Amino acid sequence: MEFFFEQLANWKFYLIGGFPKYPLTGLTLNIVLAFLSIGIGLSFAIILGLGRISSRWYIRHSCGACVDVVRSTPLLLIIFWFYFFLPVIGAKLSLFWCAVISLSVYAAAYQAEIVRAGILAVPKGQMEAGLSTGMSKPQALISIIFPQAFRMMLPSFVSFFNSMFKNTSTVYIIGIVDLTRTGINISQLRPNRIYAAYACMAIGFWIVCYALSFAAQKLEKRLGILDYESYKPEICREDLVLLPLPKAVKRFLITQK
Amino acid sequence: MKFFNLRYDFDWSIPFREPYLGWLITGVKLTLLIAIVTAIMSLLIGTALAIMRVSRFKFLNIPAKIYVEIVRNIPGLFWLLFFYFIFPQLLPFGLTDKINQYAYYSVVAGILGLTVDNSAYVSDIVRAGILAVPRGHIEAAVSSGLNRLQQLRYIILPEAFRTILPPLGTRMIHNFKNSSLCMAVAAPELTWATQQIESITFRGLEVTLLATVFYVTIALSMAMIIIRLEKKWKIDMTSISKMRT
Repeated sequence: MEFFFEQLANWKFYLIGGFPKYPLTGLTLNIVLAFLSIGIGLSFAIILGLGRISSRWYIRHSCGACVDVVRSTPLLLIIFWFYFFLPVIGAKLSLFWCAVISLSVYAAAYQAEIVRAGILAVPKGQMEAGLSTGMSKPQALISIIFPQAFRMMLPSFVSFFNSMFKNTSTVYIIGIVDLTRTGINISQLRPNRIYAAYACMAIGFWIVCYALSFAAQKLEKRLGILDYESYKPEICREDLVLLPLPKAVKRFLITQK
Repeated sequence: MKFFNLRYDFDWSIPFREPYLGWLITGVKLTLLIAIVTAIMSLLIGTALAIMRVSRFKFLNIPAKIYVEIVRNIPGLFWLLFFYFIFPQLLPFGLTDKINQYAYYSVVAGILGLTVDNSAYVSDIVRAGILAVPRGHIEAAVSSGLNRLQQLRYIILPEAFRTILPPLGTRMIHNFKNSSLCMAVAAPELTWATQQIESITFRGLEVTLLATVFYVTIALSMAMIIIRLEKKWKIDMTSISKMRT
C-alpha cells in the first residue's frame, strides 16, 4: 500500500516521463499518438469512405477491398508490417513515426466505415434537393451532406477515439515507451513495486477512457440523432389545421396519423 | 528517382523449413484455440453479466455495472499482462509455485485476459439486445405463466440473440484479431511465431505476409458466415412493430 502511494506521488513520471530533458513518454505519448493517428487517419478515411459509395464499380470495390483487408488484420501485424517493411523500401523513420503511420492506417480503415455510415444516414432527398437547386455533386456533398453527416458521426468518432486510445497501448511492443512500457519497466526494475506500477498504469488508462466515454454519452444525448422526422414531407397536425377541409376529414386524417 | 527500391529478396523456402513450419502450425492451432475458447467463455460470462445488469436487484445490478465500467475503460493488453504477471502472485503460495512450473501458463493467461476484456463488450451488446425485446412479448410471457427464468430462456434470450447477431459477430472477429496480443505474454501463437522466425532469420516479410493472409481469410470468412446466419435467422421487424401497437 505504501508503495502504491509512493508511485502515485510519482504521477508526473507516468504522465510525461522526464519530458523537458528527455523524449516524451508515458500517458501523454498515448494521447499524442491517438490524436495524430486519428487526425491523419480521418483525412484518408474521408477519401476511402467516399470511394466506398462511389457510383463507379472499380473505385467502390478497390476501396472496399483496402478497408476490408486492413480491418481484418490484427493491429499488431499492421505495426509489424510497417516496422519491417518501411526500412525495406528505403524509408528511414523513427519508431514514433512508424507507430503513427501504422496506427493511422488502422484508424483510416475504421473511420472510413464511420464516414460511409454517416453519409448513408443522411436521407437521399437532401442530395437530390441539392442537385436540383443546380449544385454540382461535390458542392452538394460539401455544403449539404457533410455538415449533416459529421453531426451524425460525432458520437461514434468519440467512441472510436476511446478505442483508438486503448489501442495505442499496443505499440509498446516495438519499443515505444508509452504508459504500458513505463509500468512494465518500473515493475521489472523494482520487483517489490510491481502491484503499485500496474495499478498506476490501470488508473491512468481508466481515467482518460472513462472521461472519453462519458463525453461520448453526453454528446450522443445532445446532438447524436438529428430529428429527421421534421424533414419528411408528410402531413402533420399543424399543417392540417391550416387546410381548408371539412372537420370530419381533418379528424379522420389526424387519427390516421 | 526510384520510388520503390526493394532491398529484399523473398526467400519462400523459409516458412516451409523445419523448425519454422512446426512453429507456424502450432501457432495457427493455438490462435484458433484461443479465439474459440475466449469466444465461448466470454459469451457465457457476458450473457450472465447482461442478465445481472438488467435485473432489478441492486446487489446484482451494481457489481456487474462496476465490472463493465472498469474493464471497458482499460486496454485489453493490460488484462493480458495482469493475468500473466500479477495474478499468479495474488494466489496462495502453493498455487503460485504450481503455476510457475506449468509451461503453458502464458496461453492460459492469454485466454483469461482476453475473456475478461471481451466479456465486458459482449455484456454491453447482449444487454442492448435484451432491452430491445418488445415490452409486449415479455408481458405475453408473464401472462402465459412463465417465471422469470423461463421468460429469459424461451422468450427474451432467443429474440435478443437474433437481433444482436451482427454486432456480436463483429465483436467475435475483433476477439479473434485480439488473440494476436497474446504474443505480449509469449504465448506461442501465430504472431509470436512470425516474430520468432524474424528475429532468428532476419526474414520477417514472408512469414508476416503468410500470417496476414491467414488472419484476413479467417476474419472475412467469419464475416461471411455471420451475414449468412443473419439472413437466415432474421426476425421480421415489421410484424414486431405491428404486435407492439
